[in-house]
Amino acid sequence: MIDPDLSPDELLLAKTVRGWFDNFVDNTYLNAQEVSDLGYEPHRWKEINRLGWSSINIPERLGGAGATLAEAAIIARELGRAAYASPLLSTVRTATVLADAPADPRSDAALTELVAGAPAALVAPPDRAVTATSSGSGGFRLAGRPVVVEWLEAATSVVLVVPVSADGHWLYALVSPRELSGRVTPVPSIDNERAAWLDLDGFDLPLDGVLAHVPGPQADYAMARANLLRASLMVGGCESVLERTARYAKEREQFGQPIGAFQAVRHHLARMAIATDAARLACNDALVRATPDAQESAIVAVALFAAGRSYVQVVLTAAQVHGGVGTTAEHVLHHHFRRAKAMQLRSGRRADRLHEIHDALIVRGEGSLW
Amino acid sequence: MKTAVTAEHLRFLGDLRHYLDGLDDGLIEAARQENIEDPMQAREHGRRFLQQLGGDGWLGVSWPQEYGGQGRSAIEHWLFAEELYNRRLPNGLTTLNVIGPTLILMGTDEQKAAYLPGILRGELEFAIGYSEPDAGSDLASLRTRAVRDDDEYVVNGQKVWTTGASVATHLWLAVRTGREEDRHRGISLLITPMDASGITVTPIITQGGECTNAVFLDDLRIPASQRIGGENDGWQTVTAALNFERMFYHNEPRWELRQLAEWAAGEDLLTGSSPAAHALQETMGEHAVDVEICRLFALRGARLLADGSVPYAEASINKVWWGELRQRICDTGMDLIGEEATIARSEHAPAHGHLDHGLRSSPVWRFGAGTNEIQLDIIATRGLGLPR
Repeated sequence: MIDPDLSPDELLLAKTVRGWFDNFVDNTYLNAQEVSDLGYEPHRWKEINRLGWSSINIPERLGGAGATLAEAAIIARELGRAAYASPLLSTVRTATVLADAPADPRSDAALTELVAGAPAALVAPPDRAVTATSSGSGGFRLAGRPVVVEWLEAATSVVLVVPVSADGHWLYALVSPRELSGRVTPVPSIDNERAAWLDLDGFDLPLDGVLAHVPGPQADYAMARANLLRASLMVGGCESVLERTARYAKEREQFGQPIGAFQAVRHHLARMAIATDAARLACNDALVRATPDAQESAIVAVALFAAGRSYVQVVLTAAQVHGGVGTTAEHVLHHHFRRAKAMQLRSGRRADRLHEIHDALIVRGEGSLW
Repeated sequence: MKTAVTAEHLRFLGDLRHYLDGLDDGLIEAARQENIEDPMQAREHGRRFLQQLGGDGWLGVSWPQEYGGQGRSAIEHWLFAEELYNRRLPNGLTTLNVIGPTLILMGTDEQKAAYLPGILRGELEFAIGYSEPDAGSDLASLRTRAVRDDDEYVVNGQKVWTTGASVATHLWLAVRTGREEDRHRGISLLITPMDASGITVTPIITQGGECTNAVFLDDLRIPASQRIGGENDGWQTVTAALNFERMFYHNEPRWELRQLAEWAAGEDLLTGSSPAAHALQETMGEHAVDVEICRLFALRGARLLADGSVPYAEASINKVWWGELRQRICDTGMDLIGEEATIARSEHAPAHGHLDHGLRSSPVWRFGAGTNEIQLDIIATRGLGLPR
């Protein structure tokens, strides 16, 4: 489908990225990568980096393409369509947070490394499982449960975004993987992405790693912009699954007619279309509004919630329409099915997200003209 | 990403708000109360309000200037309607938003001259006579017959669910002029004043308190000059009018959610961390998401119209979402209130009884204006290309 919200340049970017994935990504490929050692092919990563996609929204002065968040989100959307697992989403999310952070030569250096092809991991537990406490003389000690971090083992740069207990501020910190040794346990993921458990309890943040100490709303907004990339990825997943399922309903015949000619099946597909449009329109609205100078956290939270809910609804219904064939490892649906729930859960607990949305939209009246 | 609502559109909204804020408080409050009671038809105060708007040049925002409109875009029209819905004030509904634009498209010069100025002044009110006892979703099977007698039609038959007929000045009437077996190819569209002889209106009171009507037509005479479009070509007019009717707005569910929020604030549940407060905040958080999505579905319709397209599957999506959401807010809102929500409309009723009123009114949101089952089929066939 063609998204009418895209500008001509954005459309061209979407087509280019889609064409690139279409050349090699199919279910057989995804299955092979999922059981491979690394979970992705480093030579493909180099190619992604050479194409400039992993550094697309890093400022030009640091060697990036200086693109908008919307353009980065278009790449994420295509990534979601392809169900392709790689450190790309975590790297672009990390770059988004660093680029939004107060200017600092250390952030610039980290961003320059990303431009050169370093994969990055973002440690930003959505449900505040980790907090920082001042340990005197400008240092901070972390406390909390182990947290799941996407692509931590592949990352050569790690950025932490954690709340400081007591003062309502948040810390941005840069950590090298070396400093985390002994605290990382690889864990299998329910989808084809890679993840590790990171135990930060008692970890003393090196003083030179602390990049910034910012007010809560500012950190919320930086994370909101990074989260919008995940929302966009889930929108791409919805679109791909909807298109496949509509095609299947036109081709698959039972009782002498395509199953899509049965009203019950048509209505399943219509509900999938509604869910997909809800996610896409919310995500696009947030992308228009969430410019670096704005404070549009509320609408981003709406987009993130809608995208996760829609992606899961869409894959559950797609599985019903496909029947047995959709449940096999030979059909790409099994990747979307697992990715939908995993991507939704990487935004944290549903109840926590809804409380935040309630506070922003209902109590504080943000997010709308009315 | 393309921007839909520009700074110029927002200036228009600011001007409109400034204008509405300056209107007489008594008029506004009376029109609002009347509209909350029954939003389907402007009556005494609603009519006064619309005439005030018409006199001040605020009706016909997106109508062409040559017909007395402001010649603005569909986006501004959307903002206008949403702002009025948000204040729970009448916005001209069918007459201004459906009949007027259809007349501009399909009417003769004489018909335009006869009706458009009165509509823009807020003086004319049309009721729509489509449904019949045996023609609901299957409108093409309608049987009310019009027989040509020189330069007049003689009409006999019965219409039902003719909302607004008891207060309307005119009836927009679909009749059979051809053979029944020709279905939609044998239908014509006529306009008649409601005070013509041969029209009997019988009110039907619904469970939500809204009034609709059965309309009996006995030897009703309508001049042939009052036919919109060609004889037996009425389906085109009906379809054109339905295209204008396919807009559903998001500030109605927002208003219902606000009623729940005001109740919750009074009960100290809007913030805080008691189990009851948690449950309420989680439910309202999801409703708030769905209200914003409803806004975006409505805005998409306006954007398509502004670009010169007609929303089909997109309008159906808007309608399904809007109706189900309103019903869900009222239903779950009463769940959150609990037993006290059984207190009927009175000074003791939580949320002023608005959620109960909404729930009772809600069936028509799902089956009216084309049942949701038909909308889902439109989404699947027109939107996704599935077979019928």
